[in-house]
Amino acid sequence: MTQLQTVENLVGRGNTEGADLFRAWFTELEQTAATGGHAAYVFVMGSMAEILRTFEIPMVFPEINSLQTAIRRVAHQFLNEAEDYGYSPDICGYVKADVALQLRQGDHPMGKVPRPTVAVLTNACNTYVKWAEIWERMYQIPCFVLDVPGTRDIRSQSHPGDPSFENDRLYVEAQIKELINLCEQLTGRKFDIDRLREVLGHANRMNKAWQRVIDLNRTQPSVFNALTDGTIYLGVSNSFRGSSEGSRYFERLQEEMEYKSSQRIGTLTNEQYRLVFVGVPCYPIFRRFNEFFTEWNGTFVNSTYLWFASGGANRAFEYDLTRPLASLSEGTLLSVRDAMDSMFHQDRAVLEIAETFNIDGVVFHPIKSCRTVSTGLADGRRALMSARDIPSLFIESDMMDRRVVSEAQLKNRIDAFFEGLASRRLQQSAKS
Amino acid sequence: MTFTSGIDIGSTYSKAVIMDEHFQMAGKALVRTGFRLAEAALQAQTAALVDAGLDGKQIEYTIATGFGRHQIQFADITATDITASARGCAFLFPETRTVLDVGGQTMKASLLDEVQHVKSFRLNDKCAAGTGAFLEKTARYMGFDTNEIGPLAATSKEPVPISGVCAVFAESEVINHLSQGHAPSDIMHGAILSLVDRSIQLMKRVRMEAEYTLIGGILRYETMGRVLREQMSSPVNIPDPDVVQFVSALGAALLAQQRLSKLRAGEIREHAHEQ
Repeated sequence: MTQLQTVENLVGRGNTEGADLFRAWFTELEQTAATGGHAAYVFVMGSMAEILRTFEIPMVFPEINSLQTAIRRVAHQFLNEAEDYGYSPDICGYVKADVALQLRQGDHPMGKVPRPTVAVLTNACNTYVKWAEIWERMYQIPCFVLDVPGTRDIRSQSHPGDPSFENDRLYVEAQIKELINLCEQLTGRKFDIDRLREVLGHANRMNKAWQRVIDLNRTQPSVFNALTDGTIYLGVSNSFRGSSEGSRYFERLQEEMEYKSSQRIGTLTNEQYRLVFVGVPCYPIFRRFNEFFTEWNGTFVNSTYLWFASGGANRAFEYDLTRPLASLSEGTLLSVRDAMDSMFHQDRAVLEIAETFNIDGVVFHPIKSCRTVSTGLADGRRALMSARDIPSLFIESDMMDRRVVSEAQLKNRIDAFFEGLASRRLQQSAKS
Repeated sequence: MTFTSGIDIGSTYSKAVIMDEHFQMAGKALVRTGFRLAEAALQAQTAALVDAGLDGKQIEYTIATGFGRHQIQFADITATDITASARGCAFLFPETRTVLDVGGQTMKASLLDEVQHVKSFRLNDKCAAGTGAFLEKTARYMGFDTNEIGPLAATSKEPVPISGVCAVFAESEVINHLSQGHAPSDIMHGAILSLVDRSIQLMKRVRMEAEYTLIGGILRYETMGRVLREQMSSPVNIPDPDVVQFVSALGAALLAQQRLSKLRAGEIREHAHEQ
């Protein structure tokens, strides 16, 4: 195989295959909608995909459906419909787009979304519970809330082996057993622990490859853009978790990134600034938002979003297949807790990234829709500034609502940020 | 003689400054921006050339700044108004550490480092609250022209507290105060006080340090500068009224001179943005 063929075959493969898989996933959802089969509405932070896949229950990710309306530039129609119905402009844009989707009988730009027959959620986001209650009222479906104990004290986190961790793990395991009972009742199928082992095995392969892919972005130039490419990977990570397609996808993605890293093929041809993104992307102008940075040869090498929106899969927790339920409860506790921590204690996460990714700046992006991820960003920025001399930018827009996205204002701030970075670099080179 | 120009396309006014190689301002002009940004830039540049007694061919380098900077085809490069205003303020007042720029639709505070580069900056929110537009609307609702804002506020005896700074809701607040018998001059003074509070708040967010330099069209009004000085209980620099609106354009023209020298010396290569 010539190098040219290898480049053609490998570079960009993750994005193409990711889009194909995502399309296939939606096709499956359309079939479920047509046949009226079971569908579980789940969330990215603690989807419990391992259990639901064991019972072959198709999963719907309302957060992903909602952000897809923004990327496809129709979110405003959905938001308006929900607001016409009576929802306040201040309510989470994801929730409102989903409400409008339900009012539209599941008609989504990507296809027909099936109705829920069950909702499975964690306490990772405080809106999840209220959101699920909407479906409960609309469809009279069971809502299963998995209560995952969070970090009680940031200075002394519990770890596997600690008595307090074991208590928390048992608490999660007991709830997982309740979820299994619920799935048995819904599907009429007996729980098959060997099938769970198989699912966990696929999740292990995916997690391992995903962590390696993130680590490979330490390479200079970076091999993928954490904001744009990363969002595609997150889509597959969530919707194909525990499946053979998902694990194969991430192993092939790792192969691509290993190749790009070894050949020093960057996401930009002239990478000048390596940035970290903190918060949720600006989906209403997704491409343009990224261009504001790439026009200055800046790229995002990592983000807290890759952590919390993958439900903590980045931790690469490896399930012990000899004790599947105990291990699943441990992995769920660790990954969901980590997802919550990367939102609430993102200063620690950002400092960790800064240590190893050779970054030039941090972009904090609070959004109007989500106070959960946005409230702590100012504190996170202060903590970063006091710990390290890293330039940071604080810009506000939204993940869904284009009414509160001002391109001109964003661009002016971003341009000024880069002028500062360039000036700083000149001063540093003059000193050295 | 080498001449450069700085064009600042602001939301309300477009300003042009011509600078010579000895860093002297050779000419300047101001026009309303309107809707045709490129046209406004050309008009401002042409008028500044007339003021300087030059023709366009004598301008060897142009830097565009302000919100409309990307529309200026004849500019060599662009720089944000954050950078341009910092350079302009440091040129006029070399010990400047904090810059407050209150324009028609924006309010910007910047903190400069010891070599007068921008260390941090904050801008107003995504609305015209706390900007010149608020004062303009307040004046207009009471039947006064923008040019009358300064003299009107100067005759105030007791300012009326204005709770908000929303340029849209200003009307209802103004009507309410007028119906209660307050004098337009007191309302205008109250509006300026409200704007001053917001300005100080923004400067605090960049961890303001002396010396302070205040620029922008709103600083044309003597009351604004006076109240800011009183509230900050600290000396502040305010350029002369005929320059205060031109500081970003001046900074851009200065950057253009500096950049041209470096280009000629081969120290830098041409680039799409200022560094």
